[in-house]
Amino acid sequence: MSLNFSGSRRPLILVHRAMPTVTGIEGRVDVMVTPQFYTLKREALHVRFAHQAQKVALSLFDGLIDDPARHDYFVYREEDAWVFIAYDPKEIASFLESKGLPPKRVAKLFFAQQAKKHFSNPVALGEKEALVRIDQTVTVVPRAALPEQEWGVFDETFRPGKGVSFGATGASLLTRKQAVLLAVILSLFGVIWLVEGWRYGRTNTTLQSKLESYYAKYPSLQSAYTRESIAAKYRKIDTAERKKREVVGKIAGMLFKGVMLQSFEMDEKGFRAVFEAADAKALKRLEALAKASGIVKKQRKTGTTMIVEGNV
Amino acid sequence: MSWQRYRNELIVAMALLFALTALFYKHARRSEMAQINQQMATEFALLQETVSLKKIWGDKQIGKKVDALKSLVPSSKLVWEKRGRKLHVTLHDLSASEVNKVVTRLLNIPVQVQKLKAEKTGSSYSMEIACKW
Repeated sequence: MSLNFSGSRRPLILVHRAMPTVTGIEGRVDVMVTPQFYTLKREALHVRFAHQAQKVALSLFDGLIDDPARHDYFVYREEDAWVFIAYDPKEIASFLESKGLPPKRVAKLFFAQQAKKHFSNPVALGEKEALVRIDQTVTVVPRAALPEQEWGVFDETFRPGKGVSFGATGASLLTRKQAVLLAVILSLFGVIWLVEGWRYGRTNTTLQSKLESYYAKYPSLQSAYTRESIAAKYRKIDTAERKKREVVGKIAGMLFKGVMLQSFEMDEKGFRAVFEAADAKALKRLEALAKASGIVKKQRKTGTTMIVEGNV
Repeated sequence: MSWQRYRNELIVAMALLFALTALFYKHARRSEMAQINQQMATEFALLQETVSLKKIWGDKQIGKKVDALKSLVPSSKLVWEKRGRKLHVTLHDLSASEVNKVVTRLLNIPVQVQKLKAEKTGSSYSMEIACKW
């Protein structure tokens, strides 16, 4: 096991079965696991992107590993082939826990294969084993099998560029996949609502074009003040004149055989009509009609004459 | 405690925040636009009303339409005084049907009736009309 405390980066720890319990390190760390914790496969697939290669990872390990669904897969490109690494995050987490390193303290997980160029000289893994590159593959071998040669020292230079976020899965309520799925769904809704909002932003174009055509025809009405003032003026005239015409209509409706209009006078304020009824019966009917008309405020009888008055 | 431990939750929280902001934006735009459209509808209704009222009561042809009253009764029965946009007419020796005709025609012309008087004298009617436009 080798540590790096230099700079602001997290220490990088090489994790293997024979490692001692981790002590004296505070805070979060990155770990690199040996092939003891993963299964490796190299394939020359005709795919361009890692996410495409990732899709076939599960099928590649069919029969090679127990319970493939338990495993996660890490894929990267190595020269002209794709490297597929299957690992069991729970197994790694429980091993790290047993070595005094709770998974929540682990930020990044790297695989020894990613640093293969640094394993040209073997790196000792305890008393009995060593990690060395054999035919482009980093492998654990017994130390006894290695001839006398220069030993490599595991340090910060072994750190690969890309790793797997690991610690988050330990403390998190959501897996990465769930988080991404939820984020995508929520973002999709967000985009839909944004578009809807943008579409709401467009005014009622039909109404607007009608308004514009009106204003083009009547430019003087563009001013709200002028518009209100003209409307108020004509509304007043309209109401008064309609009332006057209604009064005349109602008075005419009160005429029938046996009733004669003696006089009618109407001005801006009110009206006065004098009716002459032929008999008491006609007068009674006239009286009823006057009441029903709804325009008469005052009515009086003198013999067979009836006078009605009201406002306009 | 490092934020990286809760990175997944943070991703979801950011997406949720984005979605909620978008939802808020949508509702804000909707109510804002509803208000604008309502204002426009009111403005349009007022404009329509103003235009139609102006067309009726501000018609430049009213003067000519008023002249048609003269043709309803013989000229010997009326005294016609038309000054600018005002008219004063007195009529005499009218039959009931003539009164009817004059009143009906007058009220169908968009004039402001200032005075309308009809009185029975014997078997005929006399009338006085004052109006403006």
